[in-house]
Formats: sequence, structure tokens, C-alpha cells
Amino acid sequence: MKTKRLAELALLTAVALIIFIIELRIPNLVAIPGVKLGLANIITVYAVYKYSAKEVAMVVFSRVLLGSIFGGNISAIIYSMAGAVMCLIGMLAVKRIVPVNYIWLSSIIGAILHNTGQIIIAIIIMRSFAVMYHYPYLIISGCIAGAFTGICAQLLIKRVFASKSS
Amino acid sequence: MTKGVKLLITVVAVLFIGSIIWVILSHRASESTYVEIVQNNKVIYTFDLSKEKDRTFRIEDNNGGWNEIKIENGRISISDADCPDHTCVKTGVLKSETMPIVCLPHKLVIRFSEKEQS
Repeated sequence: MKTKRLAELALLTAVALIIFIIELRIPNLVAIPGVKLGLANIITVYAVYKYSAKEVAMVVFSRVLLGSIFGGNISAIIYSMAGAVMCLIGMLAVKRIVPVNYIWLSSIIGAILHNTGQIIIAIIIMRSFAVMYHYPYLIISGCIAGAFTGICAQLLIKRVFASKSS
Repeated sequence: MTKGVKLLITVVAVLFIGSIIWVILSHRASESTYVEIVQNNKVIYTFDLSKEKDRTFRIEDNNGGWNEIKIENGRISISDADCPDHTCVKTGVLKSETMPIVCLPHKLVIRFSEKEQS
């Protein structure tokens, strides 16, 4: 059982990593740092609802670490990490009150918190509040991207659960 | 739909609508022609764009990275940089007071300043 679990988590990490790297090839639509679809978070949302907190953290942190190395932008790892930590804490907390039918909601909250974490780190690193001006743009993009990844994760979870029970 | 879900939806909706209103209200072109370039939270240049000649120059950071700043027809932009993401280049010309040109890797900000300082 334990080995099977480990293999599942490794597979999820690999899938998330592939999605992440493919997404890097999609050019950004808006020239605001931090705005992106975050398709790899489909896996995060899925894992949050299917595995324990510790297991999700393992998947997400190894994805962020490997993603930064393979993506060739290691200097940005502190932003990704801060975003991932905030997102994870928020989604694990929200998971208790939000049922499976409203996964898009917890995904949006995760996306907003992800951007919040990045803005906080940017303020600390740049020692300037200038980046705060980007925050409303990031909230809007977080809501849209979060809803999209959330709906994807919801479809995924429904299918996986249905195929398991039958 | 439980109480908690309703509350969370309300919070998210308020944030979303609030941000949209904020963005719309703040998206006005600046009338100021005074621009400052800030690096590591220190103002390193101030310009009056209406009096500046067209030119390009480089700003280097402590770790050897650089941004190429372009002033043309009283408009300022970053024309090139050695950072991996080039977000600052894609931002284009500095237009709005609320939307500075930001280069996160080089800790560089270009924004309109209140009025003349020197």
C-alpha cells in the first residue's frame, strides 16, 4: 500500500512538472509579473482533495523545486515557493468547509493566496511598495485562472472517483 | 450550499469586483512628465521627460545584470534586458501612474514621481 501511494504521488509530480514545462512555452498575454494560467495547479487542487496534507506538500514542493531547475529560472524559485506555501495553507484550510462540488472556489482562493505570497516576497526583496500596484491585476487574473484550473480539477476528480467506485 | 461556502464566495466576489473597479479607476494616463528610476529602493535617476533628448543607456545592478532604458519623444521604456523573463520589456512605454515598469530580477522600478525634485 505504501509503495503504491508513493508511486501515485511520484506520478502526480511528474504530470504536474510536464504541464508546468509545457506552460512555460505559452507566451504571456499580459506584461505583468506573476500573471499566468498556472495549469500545473490542476494537479495541486486534485491532490489537495485526494491526499493528506503531508502528501500534497511533498508533491507541490518537489514540483516547484524541479520546475525551477528545469524551467531555467532558479532565481524565481523564492517567488514560486512563497506562492506555493500560501496557496497550500489556504487550500488545506478551506478544504474543510468547501465540498467537492465547489472545488473551483477553493482553487480561486488558492490562486489569490498564491499571488499574495508572491507580492509579499516581491515587497520584501525589492524593499519597495511599487509592486503593490500590480496586486489588483493579480487578483483579477488569479480569479480567472483559479476558476479555470478549479473546473479542470473538478472534472478530473469526478471522473477518477466515478471510475474507482464502479 | 453551506454558510461557509456562501461567505467565501462573497469574499472572493468582493475582492474580484473591487479589483476591477480599482483597475478601471486607476487606469488613467499620467499628466506628470517627471519620472524616477529606483533600484534597491534608492532613487538613482530623475528626469523631466518633456526636456530629455532621445537616448538609450544601460543601468547595471550589483550582480552584473543590466537593463537598457530608452527615452524617445518624451516617453520612457525598457528596450532590452538580460533577465530571463523580459517582463519589463513587454510592459512597453510608461503610461500610467499606478502601473510602473518593474524588473523583479534587477530590483528596478521606473515610475512617475510627484513633481520636480531637483
